[in-house]
Amino acid sequence: MMNLLLGYQPLLDLFLLHLGLAYAQWLVLRAGVFSLGTVGLAAVGAYTGGILVVTYGLPAPLALIASALSGGLVALALSVPLARLRGIYQAIATVAFIQIVLSLNIYATNVTGGAQGITGIPKTVGTPLLLVAGAVTIYLMYAITRSRLGRAFDAIRQNEAVAASLGVSIVRHQTLAFVLSGALAGVYGALEAFHSYALVPSQFGFPYLIAILSYVVFGGRTSLWGPIVGTAVLILLPEVVRPLADARMLVFGILLILTINFLPKGIADTLIERARGRRLGARRPAEADTAKGS
Amino acid sequence: MALVLDNLSKRFGGVVASENVNITVPKGKITGLIGPNGAGKTTIVNMITGMLAVSGGTIRVDDTDITRAPADQICRAGLARTFQNIRILPENSVLDNILIGFHRHERCSTLSALLGLPASRRETAAMRARAEALLERFGMRHLAEYPAGGLSYGHQRRVEMMRALASEPEYILLDEPIAGMNDVESDALAVLFRDLADSGIGILLIEHNLRFVTRLCEHIYVLDGGRLIAEGAPEAVLSDPAVLTAYVGGEHA
Repeated sequence: MMNLLLGYQPLLDLFLLHLGLAYAQWLVLRAGVFSLGTVGLAAVGAYTGGILVVTYGLPAPLALIASALSGGLVALALSVPLARLRGIYQAIATVAFIQIVLSLNIYATNVTGGAQGITGIPKTVGTPLLLVAGAVTIYLMYAITRSRLGRAFDAIRQNEAVAASLGVSIVRHQTLAFVLSGALAGVYGALEAFHSYALVPSQFGFPYLIAILSYVVFGGRTSLWGPIVGTAVLILLPEVVRPLADARMLVFGILLILTINFLPKGIADTLIERARGRRLGARRPAEADTAKGS
Repeated sequence: MALVLDNLSKRFGGVVASENVNITVPKGKITGLIGPNGAGKTTIVNMITGMLAVSGGTIRVDDTDITRAPADQICRAGLARTFQNIRILPENSVLDNILIGFHRHERCSTLSALLGLPASRRETAAMRARAEALLERFGMRHLAEYPAGGLSYGHQRRVEMMRALASEPEYILLDEPIAGMNDVESDALAVLFRDLADSGIGILLIEHNLRFVTRLCEHIYVLDGGRLIAEGAPEAVLSDPAVLTAYVGGEHA
């Protein structure tokens, strides 16, 4: 039994690491910022953490805080040009940002170790710490959702003109969402670095971006459950269906196409919506007339 | 104390969309703005609400100059609005749609909102209670949890109205609020608008329906070709030859 659980431990670690980034992606989308830059900000955090620990011998907890700050600060700088863009143009700009980070990782050899990356990072992060990080992340996301910030994000995402007409500052809230998302991505980038001994420059590239985005699209973009469900299903799937493990990307792609077509809101959001529909539907008979009338 | 448009002008290149428009919306009264299609009503609305840059003149809410203020600051100055085409948040429940209206009055710090501290939770609970009271007043309490996107047209209009009222404005701008409604629905809204004005809110009513405007407003402004062509009490304005020409056509005037 113990062996079986231990066998799945790497998978659990992977789930928790990706879950954090999925939430970073989820948070910006929730506020109506179409940023795909999450993995780029994670790379900033990961390299900040790795360099501080390996080159400067800083203790891991301090480096983790620095990673959060660096992710948040880079996001803050990036939010200035992003605030002038909307929709697909934000997406393109943030993908360009990832490209810049990747290039810096490769060409700034003195600082980032160039193509060889950073090796010999002491492993200071294990499953228990990741579990704590996951719980804290979920709680923070829950708190934001239930606060005035979550309400403002929801309004901006659905209709900017309405949000502004009610006194919601769009630039302020989208910047805040982006900075928080950047700090979160920075933390999880660093956790990944402290978990895996080494950083490779190509690690935070396009495939990773697609994976993170898929978790959110597949699970759901608005409910808190979305990233959990999406990440869990997409990480477990290749393991459960072993023969398909080689065709991982193929399965990934097919699933995404099916989801976007048949469950455009994602698994969790669709199920929650249906449950709500049933609950309200059961109460409906007496009220159907008043709902239709007047 | 009033919402005042002073010599307001808008030019798109050489095209004059508004010229020297002077409108005063006092508190506690319903002021009408009418005009045929293309008269420039929407241009005025968009300038007041910060969606369109002003070319000349000023807009003031009481003592606050909002001529060049962005939309969110205009709301915080005390001016709320509804939209010509209903704009609700379709994914959210009716209650959540109204909750966002209270944004202007939310005070808890960003940090306590982030961490879900008691201050943030108390604020959310207090706003919910106020939203529920509004729903009660509008007779829509039983629909609180329904997704707003699935409501009937009349109910969506009311959600918009409640949301605007939630910001507790001094003035409210109603952009064709009864478009597409039947007489029963518009009569119900007329009663509501009267109540709002009696409670001290200044209302600027932009409307096509002359009968509705005549019934509700004490003072009417008539716009044509971007200029005010008449103003005054409804009866006087509607018998004005210039107004008849603009509305019905020259040969009948």
